[in-house]
Amino acid sequence: MIKPIKIGALAVAGALALAACSGGSGSASALVVGTDLPLQGASADASKSTNEVAALVLEQAGGKAGDYTVEIKEYDDSTAAKGAWDDAACAKNAQDHVANTAEVAVMGTYNSGCAKIIIPVLNQAGMLMISHANTYPGLTVEWDKGEPGLYYPSGARNYARVIAHDGFQGTAAAQFLFNEQGVKNLAVLDDTQAYGIGIADAVQKEFEKLGGTVFRGSWDVKQTQGYTATFEKIKASGATAVYYGGIFDNNGVQLVKDKTTVLGDNKAFLAMSPDGFSGYPTLREMPEAEGLWMTFAGKSLDGIIKGGGAPAKFIEDYTAKYGAQPNSSYAVYGGVAMQVILKAIAASDGTRKGVLDAVFAGDSLCLTAEESISGMGFCLSTETGDVDTVTMTLQQMTGGVETDIKTLDIK
Amino acid sequence: MANTATANTAPAHTAVSGNRKWAIGFISAVAFFFILNKFLLPQATTPVQQFFNNWFSLTSMAEIMIWIVMALGLNIIVGYAGLLDLGYVAFWALGGYVAGWLMSPFFSSLQLNFFGNARPGFEFGIHFHMFLVLILGGVFTAIWGVIIGGPTLRLKSDYLALVTLGFGEIIPQFMLNGADIAGHNVTNGAQGIGGLDDVNLFGYVIGTFALPEKFLMVSVLAGAMIFFSIRLRDGRLGRAWLAIREDELAASMMGVPLWRTKFASYAIGAVGGGIGGVGFAILVGGVYADRFNFVISIIILAMVVMGGMGNVWGVVVGATTLAWINSIGLIQVGDLVNNTFGTNINFPSYQFLLFGLLLVLMMLFRREGFIPEARIRMVMNEDKIDDEVSDETKIASN
Repeated sequence: MIKPIKIGALAVAGALALAACSGGSGSASALVVGTDLPLQGASADASKSTNEVAALVLEQAGGKAGDYTVEIKEYDDSTAAKGAWDDAACAKNAQDHVANTAEVAVMGTYNSGCAKIIIPVLNQAGMLMISHANTYPGLTVEWDKGEPGLYYPSGARNYARVIAHDGFQGTAAAQFLFNEQGVKNLAVLDDTQAYGIGIADAVQKEFEKLGGTVFRGSWDVKQTQGYTATFEKIKASGATAVYYGGIFDNNGVQLVKDKTTVLGDNKAFLAMSPDGFSGYPTLREMPEAEGLWMTFAGKSLDGIIKGGGAPAKFIEDYTAKYGAQPNSSYAVYGGVAMQVILKAIAASDGTRKGVLDAVFAGDSLCLTAEESISGMGFCLSTETGDVDTVTMTLQQMTGGVETDIKTLDIK
Repeated sequence: MANTATANTAPAHTAVSGNRKWAIGFISAVAFFFILNKFLLPQATTPVQQFFNNWFSLTSMAEIMIWIVMALGLNIIVGYAGLLDLGYVAFWALGGYVAGWLMSPFFSSLQLNFFGNARPGFEFGIHFHMFLVLILGGVFTAIWGVIIGGPTLRLKSDYLALVTLGFGEIIPQFMLNGADIAGHNVTNGAQGIGGLDDVNLFGYVIGTFALPEKFLMVSVLAGAMIFFSIRLRDGRLGRAWLAIREDELAASMMGVPLWRTKFASYAIGAVGGGIGGVGFAILVGGVYADRFNFVISIIILAMVVMGGMGNVWGVVVGATTLAWINSIGLIQVGDLVNNTFGTNINFPSYQFLLFGLLLVLMMLFRREGFIPEARIRMVMNEDKIDDEVSDETKIASN
C-alpha cells in the first residue's frame, strides 16, 4: 500500500517546487479588470467573442484609462463537467476577484444566477461589477420579496448593467402585441430556465395589466417527444398568439416546428420571441420561423452596422482583427460594459472605492452615443445601476433574415 | 488453532494501523492548509500567494471536502452494499434545498429563528442554526432514501440502476419546476434560493471572507463522514453489507436480512448526500437547481470506482483527485503546458476525454481502483491468485 506520509511529503515537495518555479504575472503598477464569463460549454463562443471585444476596446484606448494602465484578466465561471456556469466556480471566482488586490472592477457575468452569487461577495469588498448580459430584474429592482437588497449586504450598491432587464423587454413585447397587433388572448411559454421564466413573467404581468388574458405554459428541453400537446392546449385555450419566453438553444427547433404543425404558420397564428432567439442561423433557415416577431434589448448587430459611424467602424476593426464579426450582440455589450469600467477608472483615484464611487456616488456616469460602441448613449442610475434609456429593437423574420422594423426608446 | 488466531487478528491489526496513518495524513493535510491560509500566506510574497491561490485555492479545497462527503455517502451504497446508484445527485439537491429553506429569508411569509443568524433587515423566513440544519438535512434525505428505497430495493443490478437514474432526474426536475406547486413557491424554480445566512458558531460569525474557517468547517464534515464510514464498515451492519455485495444468496443463507440491510445502506448513504448538500449550499451561499444534473451523479460514481470501491481512503483519494482536476487542476496544468511549450490548447474542453481515457486505463490496468479494498482486490485478481496457487501446487507435487 502507498504510505500516506509519502504521498503527503511528495505533494508538499511538488507544491514547493512549483512555487519556486512560478512567478507573478502582469505589470506591477497596472490596474486589473476581471472578465467573468462561462468559457466552456454552449456559451463558450459568445464568451470568447465578448472577451475579444473587451480586449479590443482596451487596445483602442491605448491600454489606459485616464492616467492608469489597465490589464484584463479572464475568469471562467463554468466547468467542463457541467458545460455551463457552475455555482462553485462562481463562488470561487468571487473570492479570487477580491483576493487579487490589483483588480478594481469586474465585467460580467453572463448568467444572472452566477451574478447572484458574485454580487454579494464583491459588495462586501466594495468592488464594482458591470454586466453586459444579466437580464434578471431582481438584481437591481424589487422583484421577489427581499430583492434586490438580498444581494447587497453592505447596504450600498456596487452592481450595474448596460443592458435592459427583462421587465423592459417583456413590457415592450406585451404592449406591441396588445396595442399594435390587437391580441387580447395570449399564450406565454417559458423554457423553465431563469432567463425564460423571468421574461415570460414580465410579459404576463404587463399583458394582464393591459387587460388581456394569458394562458401560461412551458416547454422543457428534455421533453424529447415534442410539444404538440402543449400547442393543442393553447389552441383549446382560445389564444390568438404565442410568446416563446426562453432561449432558442433549449430545443427551439422542435418548438417552432410543433407550433406550425398545430397552430399554423406565423401569419395564421402570431408568434413572438425575446432576444434569446436572435442570432441563430438555424432559426433563420427554418421556413417555420418566417414572420416571427422578435425584440432585442438594445440595438442588434445589423442595426449597429447600418447605423454607421464609430460603432460600425469598431465592428469593422474587430472583423479585421479576428476574422469574423462578433458572434452575438451581447459581445458588443460586453465592450460597452468595458467602456463604462474604463471611464469609471479614469474618473477615479485608482482604488476600488474610487472606481465604485465614480458610478454610484455623485453624478451619474454616462456614455454618449458617440462614445458607445453600440451607438446608444445612456446614463447609469446611481440608485439601481440600471441604464436610464432603453432602446428596444423590434424585428421580424423575413426571407430568412432578422429584419429591423423599428426601434423603441423607453425611458 | 493458535496459528489460525494469529492469521485472523494480524490483518485486523494492520487495517487499524493503516487507518490511523491515513487519519493522521488527512488531519495533517487539513491543518497544513488551514495554518497556511490563515497565518502564513497573508504574510507571504505575492508570487507565493498567487501560486497557492492558483493551484490550491482554498475555495476549491473546501469544495473538494464536499465531494469527499458525497463520494463517501455513495460509497456506502455502491462500495459497501454493491447497489448501483446512478441518481445520487438527488440527495445532494435535497440537502441543498433543506439549507435553502431553513437558513434564508426564502419563506418570506414566515418568521422563525432558532439560534439562526438572520441578516438585519431580512429577519423574515426561516433561520435555523447550521448544526440543526445539518441534522435535519441528514434526516430529510434519509427519509427520502427510505421512500425511494422501499419499493425499489427488491430490484437487482441494471433495474435498480435505472430506477435510481429516474429518481436522480425527477428530484432535480421537481426543484427546477417547483416555483408553483398548487399555488405555492416551494423551490423558487430556476432562480434558486440565495442569501443563505452566515454561520454563527458560539458567537463567532463565519463571514463571507472567512475562507480558512469555512474550509475547516467542511473538513470537519468530511472527517466525520470518514470516521462513521470506517466504523460502519467494521460493525455488524457493515459486514452484512459486504456479505451482500460479495454474494447475495450466500449472505441470505447465512441469515442476513437482505431487504432490511440494503434499505439501511440506501438510507445511511443518502445522509452523506444530505449533509454534503447542506455544506455546499452554505459554502456557495445559496442553492441553484442548475447544478443537479446526471453528470454530477456520474462524477461521484467515478470518484468511488477510481478511488477504490469500498475503501474509505481510496474513495477519499479518488474524490480529491477528480474534484481537483475538475475545479482547478486541468486549467492550471493546461496553463503550465501552454506557457512552457507555447501552445494554445484548451485543456478543460478535453476533460471528458481525459476522464474517459483514465477510466479505460483504470479498467484495463487497475480495475480495483487507486487504493482498493482488500476483498475487492482479491476478487479482481482471483484468476491471478488461482494461477499462483496452481503453480505452487504443481511445484509441490513435483
